[in-house]
Amino acid sequence: MNARGQAASRRGAPARWWRAHRWALGQSLLRLRERPLGTALTVAVMGLALALPLSFYLVQVNLDRFGQVLGAQQALNVFLKQDQTQAQATALARTLRADPAVATVTLRSPAAGLSELAALQGFGPALAALPDNPLPWVLVLRPRATAALAAVSTLATQLRGNSAVALVQDQGPFRARLDALTDFGRRVMQVLGALLALAAVLVVGASVRSDIQSRADEIHVLQLVGASAAFVRRPYLYAGLGLGLLSGVAAVILVLMLEVALAAPAAQLDASWGGRLGFAALSVTPLLVLLACAAMLGWLGARIASARHLAAGEPN
Amino acid sequence: MIRFEQVSKRYPGNANALETLSFALAPAEMAFVTGHSGAGKSTLLKLIGLLERPSQGAVTVAGRNLAQVRRRGIAQHRRMVGMVFQDHHLLLDRSVQANVELPLVVAGVPAEERAKRARAAMEKVGLGGMEQRLPVRLSTGEQQRVGIARAIVARPAVLLADEPTGNLDPQLAVEIMGLFAEFQSIGTTVLVATHDLFLIKRIRKRVLVLDHGRLVDDVSATEVAA
Repeated sequence: MNARGQAASRRGAPARWWRAHRWALGQSLLRLRERPLGTALTVAVMGLALALPLSFYLVQVNLDRFGQVLGAQQALNVFLKQDQTQAQATALARTLRADPAVATVTLRSPAAGLSELAALQGFGPALAALPDNPLPWVLVLRPRATAALAAVSTLATQLRGNSAVALVQDQGPFRARLDALTDFGRRVMQVLGALLALAAVLVVGASVRSDIQSRADEIHVLQLVGASAAFVRRPYLYAGLGLGLLSGVAAVILVLMLEVALAAPAAQLDASWGGRLGFAALSVTPLLVLLACAAMLGWLGARIASARHLAAGEPN
Repeated sequence: MIRFEQVSKRYPGNANALETLSFALAPAEMAFVTGHSGAGKSTLLKLIGLLERPSQGAVTVAGRNLAQVRRRGIAQHRRMVGMVFQDHHLLLDRSVQANVELPLVVAGVPAEERAKRARAAMEKVGLGGMEQRLPVRLSTGEQQRVGIARAIVARPAVLLADEPTGNLDPQLAVEIMGLFAEFQSIGTTVLVATHDLFLIKRIRKRVLVLDHGRLVDDVSATEVAA
């Protein structure tokens, strides 16, 4: 080819590239359409494999939320001794408010405590029979959200050593156990997610491999007329990408169905917690991320399968 | 254009398919390769089309030693070589036109031009009006002509044909050979493997005679005519 011919060839390269991709896309759509049952089965299996990690993610998001609600309720209930007066209780509350680990201190009088107790079913008559109010002054301390668990524990220990304090209730250890549990759950979700992603790659790989094997003659003919490895491979990559994307859509639909199915019991559970849990549905971002990951996994499965099988058949 | 230098080809477990073969074909030259079955005709063509690699020696096409063509370069090499095969190698679920267009699709030729050139190639081999037929609905001879149309449609620099007229009637065989000669006249190097002596005598081109993988005779066109 002379210099003018080479220049013309270079100028035509983008158009040739576009035509080759359009042809490959058409071929891949043709292949998916030619095997509707195989395509549907692949999409179903891969969609299920992808829906599971997304469901785990949904559960994880809500467990985290639940933990935050419980964390917000984490409080130190400080019961003062019976002989402590309102002035002494107020003074101690003022001192505690200055502590950097403390967000709020609420002073609860013996009278308020008694009326709360009386409101509980069955306690009213018993309390009415008492000659005087046996309840002490109580300080309800809420730690700052940023306060370390250790700092709150130290504060509880210090309060237990205070001569005015009869009892300190600390929910910190419960919170620590809950955090450990949610961390464990998160790790389990990550491992299962990775395994199921691998399964998705294998599913698409197997589907593409079977397609390649059934089209061995066609591939051979394409190679004989001068098709490059990339040209031969491209329809399979588009098919893998399409299978991945369809499976992603199937997974999203499955998870949305799961959300709908769980909506009523979740609302019931939330109501029993006074509406503080507020169950979260998946936002658009993780759904889009799933679609992108599914397409990428489909492409990857097709790439691995095609690289292995197309390399054979050409002389070394 | 094509040069064989001391080329041998041995398949695992078999005797040499080709043995120390040396010859050269000039650009725009047409030649026949003949010999009995198993003489090495198909292997010779496969080496030129890079369907096989020689066990020994060098095959040079258009100044390029094919031993230096790596995996990525094979496709590019094949785009300059049109091949007609004994067993056609057609896509049976695609129309005749789709089969003929295939080398143009691979070369990235626009659809309109592809269709125009494919129709012209089909006309040349006598397949006009059969564009939308499926190859399975064609006779063996017609399938062979689809293979020939596909080989010539991209106007390759080298045209290789392995028994291209084996399934054609004598009249059509002569016409197809005339078509190959036409390609030779516009600069294509043509090498045809055949054992049809009638055709060889009729077309009067250079003849390479193989026997058990060895080149036993190299007869020039004038000697054939004589």
